[in-house]
Amino acid sequence: MIEVRDLSIHIQGKHITHHMDFTIPRGNITSLIGESGSGKSLTVSALLGMLPDDAKVSGSIMYEDRNVLDASDQEMENVRKQDIFTIFQDASNSFNPSVKMGRQLYAFSGERVGDSLQVFNEKMHVILDKLGLGWEVVEQYPFQLSGGMLQRCMIACAFYVEPALLIADEPTSALDMVLQKEFIQLLIRLNEEKGTTIFLITHDLDIVAEAAHEMIVMQQGRIVETGKVETIFSHPQHAYTKRLLESRF
Amino acid sequence: MKLRKALLFWYSLLGLIVLLTVFSTILAPYSPNDMNMDEIYSAPSSDHWLGTDHLGRDVFSRLLEGGKVTLVVASGSVILSLFIGVVYGGISGYFGGVIDTVMMRLLEALITIPALIIILVFQVIIQGGMWSMALLIGLTGWLVTARIVRSEFIRLKEEEFVKMANMLGTPVWNILWSHLLRNSIPAIFVVTLFNFAAAIFMEVSLSFLGIGIPPAIPSWGNMLYYAQNDILIGAWWIGLFPGIMIFLTILAINFIGEAWKNPERRRVND
Amino acid sequence: MIGKWIGKRMVMGLIVLFIVSFLSFFIMQVAPGDPAIAFYGGNAQTLTAAEIERITRAYALDRPVAEQYVAWLGETVKGNLGISYKEGRPVFEIIMERLPNTVLLFSVTMFCIVIGSLWLGTVAGMRANSIWDRGLSTISIATSSIPPFWLGILFIYVFAVSLGILPSSGSGDVGGNGGMVDKIRHLIMPASVMIVTHVGIYARFLQESIKRENGQYYVKVARANGVLERSIRNGIVRNASIPYLNYIAMTIPSFFGGSIIVESLFAWSGIGQLTVKAVVTKDFPLLMGSIMVTGVLVVITLFIVDLIMYAIDPKLRKGGIR
Repeated sequence: MIEVRDLSIHIQGKHITHHMDFTIPRGNITSLIGESGSGKSLTVSALLGMLPDDAKVSGSIMYEDRNVLDASDQEMENVRKQDIFTIFQDASNSFNPSVKMGRQLYAFSGERVGDSLQVFNEKMHVILDKLGLGWEVVEQYPFQLSGGMLQRCMIACAFYVEPALLIADEPTSALDMVLQKEFIQLLIRLNEEKGTTIFLITHDLDIVAEAAHEMIVMQQGRIVETGKVETIFSHPQHAYTKRLLESRF
Repeated sequence: MKLRKALLFWYSLLGLIVLLTVFSTILAPYSPNDMNMDEIYSAPSSDHWLGTDHLGRDVFSRLLEGGKVTLVVASGSVILSLFIGVVYGGISGYFGGVIDTVMMRLLEALITIPALIIILVFQVIIQGGMWSMALLIGLTGWLVTARIVRSEFIRLKEEEFVKMANMLGTPVWNILWSHLLRNSIPAIFVVTLFNFAAAIFMEVSLSFLGIGIPPAIPSWGNMLYYAQNDILIGAWWIGLFPGIMIFLTILAINFIGEAWKNPERRRVND
Repeated sequence: MIGKWIGKRMVMGLIVLFIVSFLSFFIMQVAPGDPAIAFYGGNAQTLTAAEIERITRAYALDRPVAEQYVAWLGETVKGNLGISYKEGRPVFEIIMERLPNTVLLFSVTMFCIVIGSLWLGTVAGMRANSIWDRGLSTISIATSSIPPFWLGILFIYVFAVSLGILPSSGSGDVGGNGGMVDKIRHLIMPASVMIVTHVGIYARFLQESIKRENGQYYVKVARANGVLERSIRNGIVRNASIPYLNYIAMTIPSFFGGSIIVESLFAWSGIGQLTVKAVVTKDFPLLMGSIMVTGVLVVITLFIVDLIMYAIDPKLRKGGIR
């Protein structure tokens, strides 16, 4: 679905990523793993066509025959709106603090696909029920909900939108263990029920083991290893991957 | 680079205005109070560059002399408000607790009362000259300074080096002086600059209303006081030039203040 | 929650009014002659001994200063502000005649400034580094450096003296037969002077806070997820308007100060002009009354701003942070 070739990003003369090559196959859960500061978040920004103004990029990111790096802001805005849903790390800051959740859930889901408020109310009601969130969250403000609930609200929108691609950037790092498990189950469910392609960025091997089909290992801005999760777990090639796997137990 | 040039321009402009007014006695072609009844309301010409007023006095000479009065009053009041502001804000910020709460509540209440009203009240009672004007503006202009000093002190008090000094038993006055106050200077400088602009505004406003500096002493505000009537008979030059001088002075101060504010802001965020 | 919050604001307002009343009472104390007689201004000579006796009792003039203050405050709260020295009429009556003009001028200018600065600030703030952004930053400093009364003098020269299309002074109620149109014609110049010299600096404040808000995490999340730009902008403006309202509240006192001067210049017969007139003619009772009324006006305005802030900021309402 997405093919990244020779992607290098530098900001103010500092190299963030070096000659990255990887693919995100359609219908799978692909996981990008690496420690914090390895350039994962900036890679996500690049995929979304939302790099900061002072970033310089080379290489290509092909999204369905179209190079994201060459596309205009307007084109990328349309692509994001039509095909992609992104869940970010910090759920408690992902919503506008002074707008009611109902309005914001609508903006994140119904409004962007062009549904009326009535359609949204019906559809979202069902989804919230399914995710174990009461309908009353729509009457509340973000600061009245927990991080876990807010992250579930986000994934509720993803369920609503049924995007072609779901990008989840460290979605569980702010949640506790139980909530983490729950959230990963939701991602798997979305992948299995709707066939959504998921690009899951994390630093946690347990999550990779549990959810992903494919994995990409990243170290200090470089891709060191890619492949099927089972293959890499059983036969890691690169020293860094080996170290990661050893420290897991 | 471009910004630096612009800043240099504002420095030079302000410097020029100050120099012009400081050397007003030498530079002025006429004595500012010389009346010439044969030449009232004459428009700008080679004799009187900026024309004459209703008593035939040279507007250019009065402009220079008036600038001196305005700037001296503003400077005097700013020094006074700086002193009060530093002491009030310093006490409030350094001691904290109940003292701080009470002092800040009082300050909030005082800030709510238009300074102009307070000055009007005292002006009706004192009705003095230049210095009482400076005193009044100074007495009402310290509130923002106090607020800034307080927040700087509170911020600095938590810094490692101040805590260290406290533990090492450095005398209180030494901590206050060489740690808290010295490190607050950039912020105090910026607020004092803006205070200076506000003081000029206040002087010209009051004199313009006819209740500021006595009419016998020329000041930019006093000149505008007469300009209200002169403009009705078409003598635009009497009002135009003092206004331009006030505008340029305040403009220069504001741009310089903005330039100083920004690096300061960045430093605090880092 | 709202009860507690309003209570706190009311206490603050009362403290302010107390300070203003001290100021006012202070004038009465230092005014030359017998305070009671001063308070009854021009009518003092006509007072009989019995009336003087009555006034002395009402204001506790034979008692210590503190009791005098309480007595005076009591009369003031009842609406008895004394008699104008120059006009020989009750101060309360004069003020009530003037009040609508001041409220009109204030609400028209404040309304235009808020609308104008919301628009300018949003346009400039949402387009960082555009011409709008840089232009507003500079122009706002320039316009706020213009002394309003000087701009007023220039306006009078251009529109009243040279072009003759607008009246140079007054508030239109002298002849009393001009009606609405006449009132508006008189209002244009004082209002536009206040607007031109203030709208920029308010817009700039909003612009800065929108730019700050625009860099927030939730905005990035919304943009990444194809939320409509209109929805994003509305959310940003809503959040940015909280510090903006705070700024308005902070500057309202000096705004009132500015309108005193503009009222005087254009002879707009409002409270501001009245105050200056009272100072110039040393009409002490009138001055005391005008000061009290200005204080009340400021406190009421601030209270309204507070209420708007309360409505916009859910954190205040739900008792979250702050």
